[in-house]
Amino acid sequence: MRTSRLLPAALLAVSLIWLAAALPGASGIAARQAPQPEIPLPNREGSFKFAVLGDFGTGERTQYQLGEQMAKVQERFPFELVITVGDNIYGGERPQDMKKKFEEPYKALISKGIKFYASLGNHDDRGQARYALFNMDGKTYYTFKAPGASVRFFALETDYLTPAQTAWFQKELASAGEDWKIPYFHHPLYSSGGRHGSQSDLATVLEPLFLKGGVSVVFAGHDHFYERIKPQKGITYFVTGSGGKLRRGDISKSTGLTAVGFDTDLAFLAAEIAGDRLFFNAISRTGAVIDSGVIERRKPE
Amino acid sequence: MLGMLARRSTSRLLPVATAAVSAFLTVMPAAAARSADAQTTPQRVNPNAKAIAEFQEEINEYVELHRTLEKTLTPVPRDATPEMIDKYQRDLGRLIQQARKNQRAGDIFESDVRPVLRRLLAGLFNGPDGKKLRMAVAEENPGESVKLVVNGRYPDTIPLSSVPPQVLRTLPQLPEELEYRFIQSTLILLDVHAHIIVDYLTGAVPK
Repeated sequence: MRTSRLLPAALLAVSLIWLAAALPGASGIAARQAPQPEIPLPNREGSFKFAVLGDFGTGERTQYQLGEQMAKVQERFPFELVITVGDNIYGGERPQDMKKKFEEPYKALISKGIKFYASLGNHDDRGQARYALFNMDGKTYYTFKAPGASVRFFALETDYLTPAQTAWFQKELASAGEDWKIPYFHHPLYSSGGRHGSQSDLATVLEPLFLKGGVSVVFAGHDHFYERIKPQKGITYFVTGSGGKLRRGDISKSTGLTAVGFDTDLAFLAAEIAGDRLFFNAISRTGAVIDSGVIERRKPE
Repeated sequence: MLGMLARRSTSRLLPVATAAVSAFLTVMPAAAARSADAQTTPQRVNPNAKAIAEFQEEINEYVELHRTLEKTLTPVPRDATPEMIDKYQRDLGRLIQQARKNQRAGDIFESDVRPVLRRLLAGLFNGPDGKKLRMAVAEENPGESVKLVVNGRYPDTIPLSSVPPQVLRTLPQLPEELEYRFIQSTLILLDVHAHIIVDYLTGAVPK
């Protein structure tokens, strides 16, 4: 994804955001303080590139359209894997559902060997842990190292955060030698969602571990929109829960948490880690870049 | 309770029962004090701790049955197709349903443990964090329209309730084959491999 190619999308994104700010009381438009210039993904050779997707398995036309957009982006910005933040499949999970709600919408990516590493949401059957294309190795929570990069992911099961899982996470986080430690899971610790919002019961348990473990960025879903939270104690939290479901106008402007929000269309996030910096673009179903930025890596406390 | 398939192994049960008693004492300091007294008068047994230990035994019996039946099926690899996962889940569900066809609600959540668990949960849900815990449990909770049937398949179209970590720290721990979930104010035991409801406890979340 070169800057020149991104430009039209960037202009569109900024225009949309400006429009949102210019329409007082307009419903279904994300909150944002002011238009900001887009920060393009460097798309460097040898950097680690990945995508984030959440709350997607509906089987509806719009999910397919976002899947097509992801494949288009991947052609220019070759992300190697996709992490999913849960609610991978809505409703029935029969074999035909798995095809319709996962295998078909992302066929272009799957056929290119792009791996999906799933975490489970409250709509997901635990049997998904053994589904080959979710790469969970039979576990409902697990960790893996990104290929060729000093990055380690931790897929947690926040729907059922047992003491055993918490102890496992603490141990794995402490022993991880990678520079970047990235937890991802379903329920957001911070969110401006009117429907769900921040999960403070989870924050009580997980946030101290993130702080101690040198976590810089966290991905979650559950609320059906895109939101980047203002850094909380130095950590940037994302809600990427509009991969297939959308709750239009659900971002509450009163929380004071939102750095950038987008709740008018589906979106996913493309990210690139180069050294101590993580670059990101959130991209809508139509290809507009709705948010972008750079996160500096935190050092462990 | 589960008959021939579920022989109890004292050596396996002992750590679980001990853990259950320990867990209970953690949340009931007064009971802990009484337990200390009991060292000098061994004939006195804390009835609450005893009820939890018996509950753990019921759980162990169920899991023994589950594992015995699972061994009769072709294992699902860790990189399975959806067809394999679905077939395995339904086959295991059928085997368990056949083996437990005479089971009724309350056979695992027996009468002695029900008030104990309700009290433990009431302590949480009526406590300082009660409001947020109730909200967490109530999220996308399917409501009373779900007909609870022991051995019945958990409805495919209904999301699972979240179970806050504070609740999981308070309730007796379960083996990986089972999970606690809520349907409205009812606590259910869910067999996660077979996706069936093993038993349920009404009135678990106080009004």
